[in-house]
Amino acid sequence: MASVADAKPSPMMAQESPVQRFFRATEIDTRLLGMIGALILIWLGFQVVGQWLTGDGVFLTPRNLWNLSVQTSAIAIMSTGMVLIIVMRHIDLSVGSMLSFIGVVTGVAQAYWLAPTLGSDHPVIWIIAVVIALALGAALGAFNGFLVAYAGIPSFIVTLGGLIVYNGAAWWVIRGETVAPMDSRFELIGGTPRAAWIGATASWALGAVACLAILVGILSNRAARARFRFPQRPIWAELFLGIVGCALSLGAVFVVNSYAWPPKVAEAYANEHNIQIPPEGLNFSHGFAIPVLIALGVGIVMTFIATRTRFGRYVYAIGGNPEAAELAGVNTRKITLLMFMLMGMLVAISACITAGRLDAASNSLGQFDELYVIAATVIGGTSLAGGVGTIYGAMLGALVMQSLQSGMTLLNFDSAVKDVIVGSVLVFAVWIDQLYRRRKT
Amino acid sequence: MRNAQTRAFGAALLGLTSALLLSASAMPADAAGKKIAASWKTFQEERWKTDDAAIKKVIEAAGDTYISADAQGSAAKQASDIEALIAQKVDVILVVAYDSDAILPSIKAANDAGVKMIAYDVQFEDPNSLYITFDNIGVGRLMAQEVLKAKPAGNYAFIKGDKGDPNATFLFSGITEVLKPAMDAGKIKNVCETFTDGWKPDNAQKNMEQCLTKQNNKVDAVVSENDGMASGVVAALKAQGMDGQVPVSGQDGDLAAINRVALGTQTVSIWKDSRVLGKAAAEAAIAIADGKKIADLPGVAKFNKGKKGVEMNSILLPPDPITKNNLGDVIDTGWISKDKACAGVKPGTVKGCG
Repeated sequence: MASVADAKPSPMMAQESPVQRFFRATEIDTRLLGMIGALILIWLGFQVVGQWLTGDGVFLTPRNLWNLSVQTSAIAIMSTGMVLIIVMRHIDLSVGSMLSFIGVVTGVAQAYWLAPTLGSDHPVIWIIAVVIALALGAALGAFNGFLVAYAGIPSFIVTLGGLIVYNGAAWWVIRGETVAPMDSRFELIGGTPRAAWIGATASWALGAVACLAILVGILSNRAARARFRFPQRPIWAELFLGIVGCALSLGAVFVVNSYAWPPKVAEAYANEHNIQIPPEGLNFSHGFAIPVLIALGVGIVMTFIATRTRFGRYVYAIGGNPEAAELAGVNTRKITLLMFMLMGMLVAISACITAGRLDAASNSLGQFDELYVIAATVIGGTSLAGGVGTIYGAMLGALVMQSLQSGMTLLNFDSAVKDVIVGSVLVFAVWIDQLYRRRKT
Repeated sequence: MRNAQTRAFGAALLGLTSALLLSASAMPADAAGKKIAASWKTFQEERWKTDDAAIKKVIEAAGDTYISADAQGSAAKQASDIEALIAQKVDVILVVAYDSDAILPSIKAANDAGVKMIAYDVQFEDPNSLYITFDNIGVGRLMAQEVLKAKPAGNYAFIKGDKGDPNATFLFSGITEVLKPAMDAGKIKNVCETFTDGWKPDNAQKNMEQCLTKQNNKVDAVVSENDGMASGVVAALKAQGMDGQVPVSGQDGDLAAINRVALGTQTVSIWKDSRVLGKAAAEAAIAIADGKKIADLPGVAKFNKGKKGVEMNSILLPPDPITKNNLGDVIDTGWISKDKACAGVKPGTVKGCG
């Protein structure tokens, strides 16, 4: 532990407890840690209560955790954008209806337009469908942004109007019908068919890449700090972060790989490929599902945008103090418009996942999603006063919300009780966050 | 009852229309010129526009005026809609109540003003009004019967509709009525039973995934209370390779659901043709506007199975189950094109698809 000397000594250090020293040295966000702690408590709670009620806890099985990862994806993706919108002191209430509108347009385009003209299962159908979704999302988002930034209408009003308008528009497109089925490749985006599970080898490879990336990140961070003569984290702290990061990514791989293909799916696969089914049964691993990979990818990209680009810094600057940002020469209008456009595109991605997963599109998809997205963002520590919020926090918030929902479904909770609990958790989480902030300042 | 269900759709339509035509043709000469209105709870849902069109057609054909108001999913808006309709001196108002209790003061106001009210599809409990709907308890019974036929014993999962909608409970009482003997005998086990917020398919999918996880896939049949939720159930089963092997019910005659019935991934969709309901209601409204007593309308019976047990005059239309066997009949009514109904079906496997 001699390497603590790496950090610049300060008079404060003498009075620090070991715990405080640990957090300062590793530079871990204690709020993040608190959220992870809460998540673990929720998970263990459901497992224990399940075991106690039914004698067989299923919450912490690979299968349920895998389900949870897929069920969280769509909300998590939208929450990454909502963080930045809220950081800029705006709000987007239209995401749910927009998802529904984009979903039905994409569904109609595939089922009623592309499939009949190109022939069903043509390999470009899904690409065109996704492009349509993204373009539509960008256009609708940009329109929201234009009204907010250039027409000066409060975002609450613009997107409240959008909530109603897109809801009507979705209805107008299909008159309440359900469009099905989706293109077979498009369906993969949702993660339902077996081809959407990347399997054991690819998952391990991804885990290894993630682990490597963490190590490279730590090293390059050290190099950068050395270059600018910033104080370094002590070696033990770096080691700790590297080991925990790697353990988490490889642990996640282990979990998703422990969930074997359902017997019926494996059987069908064996029949198609003329494989003899051994007496002990076939054992294929699920690995990560495509929507989860998309969500992780979006999380990484959005974190990069938020923390490493000029755009991201402007977003936080505007949120911190819009007048100051404006006076400092930031084109706040343009940034606002771009941010809403980005939000629209994230909604489009979620729309593809939701419609693909259900293998159908209907105008009830996405209804009330705005509430879950905003709740996830707020649980994740984003301040509605603006200026503060992290992407990973929001994604974790989405996971917390979904964990509560699925856990209670597993335990056969009455759905009225579910609503009461989910709502209470939202308010409780924000209260804890307020206490934390007040103590810190 | 069983014979009634299996009869052809054409016959059902014919019988119904002729009964109601009778009342329509008995109209006195001064019939035309009445004002008939409809107050819809929302046009956001699946079907109300179809009903609206069917009603409009019949009323305008009779030479009466039709006024339509959309409450946009708000009990308050609906109250003011009805107020406005009373002020316009309409003769009859068809109401799809957004909230069956909150609507009662409006119904009373209308009664006081001499406007006759019809509870259309959603019941409000007022002894002076007519309640016209498909037999919802019957829909539940039909669902359960079809699933029971396909799987007489085993683990049953129940995906119920929104907890706030009385229809979800009506349906479930019909379902349990049919399954009770087998449940009491221990042949059928209720392994999952959940309400689905907003009747949303994606919620039903999540609930079904949780059910399968909890049961480790030991689920032999699923009773889903509508077609939208059935699409979620089938998607959840598909992820486990169990689609087409587990009977699944639904209702509404959704086009996608009819296609699933043809493909074999859904067992039955109970079809309540809203055009038939709209037509029947419009014809009843015309007769009432012309001064006929509600109790004297053809097909009227007493109904008191609502929450408060108020006895009302009601017309309950029989719904029809769509299964692989009678798919052709649905195509014949023009509700769905053969292309849509039979998309992806192997030729020769389903009668009616060819």
